[in-house]
Amino acid sequence: MHFWQDPQFGNRMITLMAALLLVLQIMMVTQRWLITSIRAFALQSFLLACIATTIAYYNNAPHIYAAAALMLVVKVILLPVHFERLARHIEIHQEIEPLVNAPISVITAGLLTLMAYVVAESFHRPDEPLGPASLGHNTLAVAIAIFLIGFFMMLNRRKALSQVLALLSLENGIFLAAISLTYGMPMIVEVGIFFDVLVGGVVLAILVHQIRDTFDSMDVSRLTRLKG
Amino acid sequence: MIANLIANMIAQILQTVFQVALVLLLSPLVTGLNRTLKARVQTRRGPSLLQPYRDLYKLLGKGMVIPNTASWIFTATPFVLFTTVLLASLLIPTISAQAPLSLYGGVLAMVYLLALGRFFLALGGLDTGSSFGGLGSSREMTISAIAEPALMLAVFAVAIGAGSTNLSLVAQAGLGQSWRFLAPSQMLAFAALFIVLIAETGRIPVDNPATHLELTMIHEAMILEYSGPYLALIEWAAAIKQLVLMTLLVNVFFPFGLSASWTPLALTASLGWFLFKLLLLSLIVAAVEVTNAKMRLFRVPELLAIAFVLSALALVSTFLFQG
Repeated sequence: MHFWQDPQFGNRMITLMAALLLVLQIMMVTQRWLITSIRAFALQSFLLACIATTIAYYNNAPHIYAAAALMLVVKVILLPVHFERLARHIEIHQEIEPLVNAPISVITAGLLTLMAYVVAESFHRPDEPLGPASLGHNTLAVAIAIFLIGFFMMLNRRKALSQVLALLSLENGIFLAAISLTYGMPMIVEVGIFFDVLVGGVVLAILVHQIRDTFDSMDVSRLTRLKG
Repeated sequence: MIANLIANMIAQILQTVFQVALVLLLSPLVTGLNRTLKARVQTRRGPSLLQPYRDLYKLLGKGMVIPNTASWIFTATPFVLFTTVLLASLLIPTISAQAPLSLYGGVLAMVYLLALGRFFLALGGLDTGSSFGGLGSSREMTISAIAEPALMLAVFAVAIGAGSTNLSLVAQAGLGQSWRFLAPSQMLAFAALFIVLIAETGRIPVDNPATHLELTMIHEAMILEYSGPYLALIEWAAAIKQLVLMTLLVNVFFPFGLSASWTPLALTASLGWFLFKLLLLSLIVAAVEVTNAKMRLFRVPELLAIAFVLSALALVSTFLFQG
């Protein structure tokens, strides 16, 4: 048996990549450069696709391979490329202007992670034997943490484009929870979600563009004013 | 019974002497290796690998100038610094999983021995009353005040996994478990410690050991008043400290090849492994040094804050992933 066929090794890799997902999420919380945020999101999605591939490999599950491939196409290539083009087009490269400054954001992210840990703790079964079927079960806490931090990021940002990024990274958390706990939803649901995300991303991007054209800014706090 | 005890004691003393000799002889070579690698990456030829030995030899043979304003602290500093880093090096498993002085202290002792040396170095910088010395000391303290918590947290993250703060036991735990080094707590702590290594040894994004530029120097500013044998001791101590931190990184996180016993054959093999791992780490450090520009001093705390966040995450992830 090669070492990479050992579920122990797979477990280590999945845990490691999940930890990197969390690191990237916290990096996005503090990141002020829009392009870097977009790339961090692309990298996060790529790692998520890798986790899905690993789980698919150990369980011989073709539909998870498909989910990983969809992830790769939609969230690693299509959406980031589209967003980068948009960011260049509207000429906003930096200064996302968060409501809360970076150190406090990081502390908040840490507290949210702790909360995720407390929530996930009740689902933890230490007596479960380690095998292909239990791979990734320990990443639930990370999934919840990514979800919560994504939510915080949406509240914390003013620019519409970075809010869209936050929403998408939040969705990454949901995907991680789905893939690690249930081996993905049925194929048709999976395809539906990705199509949803893609269309949602494109629609939001167009909306961002429109907001900027109408208000000369992407700052959503200006949307409180009516303008005819 | 007594013969056994004496034999044990002699073995213990031999081990200590062997490791002291190894650390003393190897540390200038590592400094030279770092310089050569960096020069080669920049397509320069660079000085010979043995240049640090020649520098030390030259400095040891020179006379000394001691400022009139200096007190006993100025004279004590080189000796305190040298002794503390040498003692710290004996607490780390270097070529055997059992460090010679591991019975007397774990990682806390090591960190605070280094801190004691740094404290005296900063005092020595202040002691002569020269403005550069004070400037260097204040910068060094600013950086270490942030680097030290990151170092401690990262080490605790590893210690929790191994169930002990004794570095020998941590290394043995790493040897016993396959793929342990892939655990997120280990990887994140490694990344944090790598940043601390860069900061503590004065490598490029933080400090540039090759220049004496007033605006940016940190370590060099503190030791500006030292000359001759004292300077040699301080430079040697700095080299040993670098070796200590590098050993901490390579042997605690990647303890492959560490011998469990002190037999000649096992020691030779693990010495080879050790040199190989040091070479790899030096390559990474050289790559970082060449690809980065020196940071503004006020940006350095941000870099160290990243290290702190990484090590905090390492600590959290031991709980998040249940081990």
